[in-house]
Amino acid sequence: MSEIERNERVYKAIIKTIKDTPLAEYYTSGHRTCQGCESALLMRYMAKAAGPRTIVVGATGCMYVANTTYMTTSWVVPWVHTQLGGSGAAALGTAAALRALMRKGKIKEEPINVVVFCGDLGCADMGLSGVSNAMTYDYNFLIILYDNESSANTDIQETSMTPYGAQTSFSRPGKQKRIMKRRWKKSVVPMIIAGHRNVKYAATLTPAYPLDGINKVRKALSVGGPTFIHSLDPCPKGWDYDPMYSHKLGQLAVETGIWPLYEYYNGEIIYNEPTKGIVEGRIKRKPVNEYLEKQGRFSHFTEEDIEYFQKMVDEMYEKWEIPGIMPIKSINVKIKES
Amino acid sequence: MTEVERLKEKEILMNGTQAVAYAAMYADVDVVTAYPIRPYTEVMDTISKLIADGELDAEFIVAEGEHGQFEAVKHASLVGARTLVGSSGTGWMYGMEAIVVTATDRAPVVAVIGNRALDDPGAYGVEHNDALMVRDIGWLLVWVDTAQEAFDTTLIAYRVGEDKRVMLPVGVSMDGGFLTHAEQLVRLPPKELVKDFLPPYDRGKYLVHPDNPISVAPQVNEDWVMEIRRQHDAAMERSREVIEDAYKQFKKVFGRFPGTTREIKMPEDPFVEPYMIEDAEVVLIGAGTVSKPMKVAIKSMRAKGAKVGMLRLRWFRPFPTREVIKYLSNSSVVCVVDRDYSMGSPNGGGVFYNEIRSALYDLEERPKVINFIGGLGGREVTIQDVEKIIEIGLEQRDTPVTKPVYWFGVRGERW
Amino acid sequence: MQNEVKYIEIVYRGIFQKRLAKYIAEGIVYMARASGKSALSFGRYGDSPERNGVPAKYYAAVGEVNEEDLIGYSTRVEPDYADVVIVLDDTLVKGVESWAWQGVQPINLKLREGGVMIVTSQKRAEELLPEIPSKEFNWRLAIIRSPASFSGLWAFKDDMTMEKVWGAIAKVRPDIINLEALESYLKRKDKAQERIRNAKISYEELIVREIRAGEGRNYKYTPPRLPTWQEMLEGAVIPAVPFGKRNEQFKRGTTKSERPIVDFDICIKCRLCWIYCPDEVFDETPDGYYDIAYEYCVGCGICAEVCPVKDCIVMVDENLFKEYESPYNLWKKDKQKYKEWIKELKERGKKERVFVPGLGR
Repeated sequence: MSEIERNERVYKAIIKTIKDTPLAEYYTSGHRTCQGCESALLMRYMAKAAGPRTIVVGATGCMYVANTTYMTTSWVVPWVHTQLGGSGAAALGTAAALRALMRKGKIKEEPINVVVFCGDLGCADMGLSGVSNAMTYDYNFLIILYDNESSANTDIQETSMTPYGAQTSFSRPGKQKRIMKRRWKKSVVPMIIAGHRNVKYAATLTPAYPLDGINKVRKALSVGGPTFIHSLDPCPKGWDYDPMYSHKLGQLAVETGIWPLYEYYNGEIIYNEPTKGIVEGRIKRKPVNEYLEKQGRFSHFTEEDIEYFQKMVDEMYEKWEIPGIMPIKSINVKIKES
Repeated sequence: MTEVERLKEKEILMNGTQAVAYAAMYADVDVVTAYPIRPYTEVMDTISKLIADGELDAEFIVAEGEHGQFEAVKHASLVGARTLVGSSGTGWMYGMEAIVVTATDRAPVVAVIGNRALDDPGAYGVEHNDALMVRDIGWLLVWVDTAQEAFDTTLIAYRVGEDKRVMLPVGVSMDGGFLTHAEQLVRLPPKELVKDFLPPYDRGKYLVHPDNPISVAPQVNEDWVMEIRRQHDAAMERSREVIEDAYKQFKKVFGRFPGTTREIKMPEDPFVEPYMIEDAEVVLIGAGTVSKPMKVAIKSMRAKGAKVGMLRLRWFRPFPTREVIKYLSNSSVVCVVDRDYSMGSPNGGGVFYNEIRSALYDLEERPKVINFIGGLGGREVTIQDVEKIIEIGLEQRDTPVTKPVYWFGVRGERW
Repeated sequence: MQNEVKYIEIVYRGIFQKRLAKYIAEGIVYMARASGKSALSFGRYGDSPERNGVPAKYYAAVGEVNEEDLIGYSTRVEPDYADVVIVLDDTLVKGVESWAWQGVQPINLKLREGGVMIVTSQKRAEELLPEIPSKEFNWRLAIIRSPASFSGLWAFKDDMTMEKVWGAIAKVRPDIINLEALESYLKRKDKAQERIRNAKISYEELIVREIRAGEGRNYKYTPPRLPTWQEMLEGAVIPAVPFGKRNEQFKRGTTKSERPIVDFDICIKCRLCWIYCPDEVFDETPDGYYDIAYEYCVGCGICAEVCPVKDCIVMVDENLFKEYESPYNLWKKDKQKYKEWIKELKERGKKERVFVPGLGR
């Protein structure tokens, strides 16, 4: 596909307003997710954006177990289970099979979306090698990392996606140690972008911004090639808050700068609102405490912890060359303007 | 005119791994996933070259590890692609999560297992434990002892696995080193005949495609697992009949029994190879390349008047209980050679020993069963070793078994 | 066995009352032990991992039998009967549907003759009884005057609910735990005096109502028939949900403690409720309003929170409703009557909700 053709396909895929959002649901009611589960909302947006000519593959996790408890399904489109660390391989296998079968005339040639979802463990921990390998190929698929910042299905444990200091069953504060989760959250999309040249589209999103999210899925599926999306999904069970505030917390995550919204397309980093406003200085970032105080998993935080958290987030926007995304503060050469 | 000329076959020198790759090419596989591990790797080298030379049209994926390798083909198979995959030893272990699920998802993947000792320590030599790991979880498992059998059996594996009555993955096991790296002349049938033997892979209502919306493998609880296992069990039961059909059909289409070369002829039993067994008092049991030195030793002992024979097991799953009973019930002593181990098992015997014994248990008059564990990690099983095994067997004809399990060929151990 | 081993079933809202249920069961075990009986407790394995709001069950077993026998009787997924059913959220009396292929189970499904159901509620027995399915024998309903105690995984609200429940059990089933054992158990804890006081008040002020056979809601529970292995598709394959439909096998309306009511008169059709619902319960009507499929609504409250019009969508107590009728149809039928009805519901049924239930803020 030439660049012009691709850009046109992507532009045509975009939905302009909430009123234009299609009504058809390909992931429907009757799933055993928590009240206020934003990951379920992400599944809904993803299925809606992808449409009926789609095969969804889901790795073990909340979005597997909760959606199919027991011997049931909420999916209208074909859906297949894959193993916890198998998402990259599942994407490769499914996409390669479709390509081979179509080329050899064994099935009808038509665009079929391949969407593979995986959680914290499936994408960022156990399955990272598989995802990375999948990104090096040129098959058409989308891998979505639904990030509820814990290993949620096993009753909330720490993963590399858990934020600093957050409580999980592996990181409860105790009499000796207050902060057990000492690691800072990994950034997965930058890893994908920086290390895999043929990835044409990658993005972050959160269901609190539905149009942004649905359009990103549509763009990813129109662009062709391996694509990747990382979604932050507030989780009322793991983060410990009343489910009705799921939407609000998603917004706060972005407004405090903790979760930047951006896309990588055609070699360009495109910031989306409101992150764009934050980076350009038009919007002031809310203090992280507004976000942290609303969650029970941070209820043990002291002033010191909050300050540290704030400092780390400040650094993302005040010191990094590519704000919010890559932890590169400077390079030791001056690029000559040609 | 020789038979090879009459059947319009080509005779080409190739080793066990290449034979499997050629069979996969004949079967027109759609997706192959590769990952290197000695000694099966050449299967993938060969496939890759066949694709590059335009002799096979398939997607070739290099995985980042055996887990990814096996996961990918499982999904490709569910979407309707015919697949080839393989591994050895510790690599097969690394992929084990995906391997188990391939069977329970009913994906008829064909996997070649280049039998290799399990780590630690690293050792490339033959040992059967890697393949045997799937004996409980519902894979079909077959051992081949020549490159010809490797080629023929791989074609059979596609036909049997993909049959709607079965829909299970098949493991084609071959001894690391002794078969993976041994070059023999293989008779390749005319390619046009393959379509008469191997129908297209059709998943029917189980195909994952937008025209057939299904959900595959939702989470289940205690209300569902037993039924799912019972279905799997029933499919394994049905596979016996399908295997018998497949061997008959192979002979019909290609004009010879699978495994037949210019000089090697065998009785036409799909599950086992009986050899000089009719009046045998002592019968040797084995699987894989060990059968060939066994035959030489048996011939030499027969010349000395000993009534001895062999029963080589091809199919391990489904286990050929009927054949084992039929061929062994008149013998006095059964000497099972295990190129594997099962630490802490009854009598400390190997896997084949315990399964054979169990199969013979219900007989009114049971033969004695003695186990010979050896050839592990690539150690040779020589003709002299087999002659000694036969002598021990002969000694035990009229006495109760003095020692049920021998480790043979181990330094520091008399036997 | 029947008279020797007693089961206490605790029915609760998953995650929100997870620790509460566990601590209650734990206490029962320790107290029974102290009175010389053998005892053990276990959660229902299939409930795990619990999901916010989805009804879950915890069990305690108490027996005048040898401990090993007790374990032998209790190595079950669920016991066959319960002598005491403790309901920690009164909206659970409407039914329990914890996962697919279960159907809506009566709250008192396991209760056997002579049993008692203890409910924490602000309502009177007369208000709850119409929703509780009738039994073929007499039983008792006891009410602890208290709102449902909700918490989270990390911040637990220690609001004396456990003590009140134990006090209630001691009152109606002293053969399981008696007041003396309860007092000595509480003495060993922190804030002992306050705990003992609350337990005693609950003991004294417990409202107990005798329920006669046949009294209550006329509801016949038939568990769905599960297919045989020959009927099932192979390889754990099931058909997808047909396009345009919802999942028939798991409707999960019993997950909610509150229901959103919509004032269609002031709705501006902005679609935000529809787009933000994680459970896809909104259906667009031909004239552009958004109807709610209450049977599938889980009462998370996101729609109420995102609706830009003040008091257009309001969450109210689920116990105020008998059926899952379409609100849009009710409104269309008689707009005036609907308006009056929702006004009354808002006055009676609003509950306070805070960001972190366990911390109370």
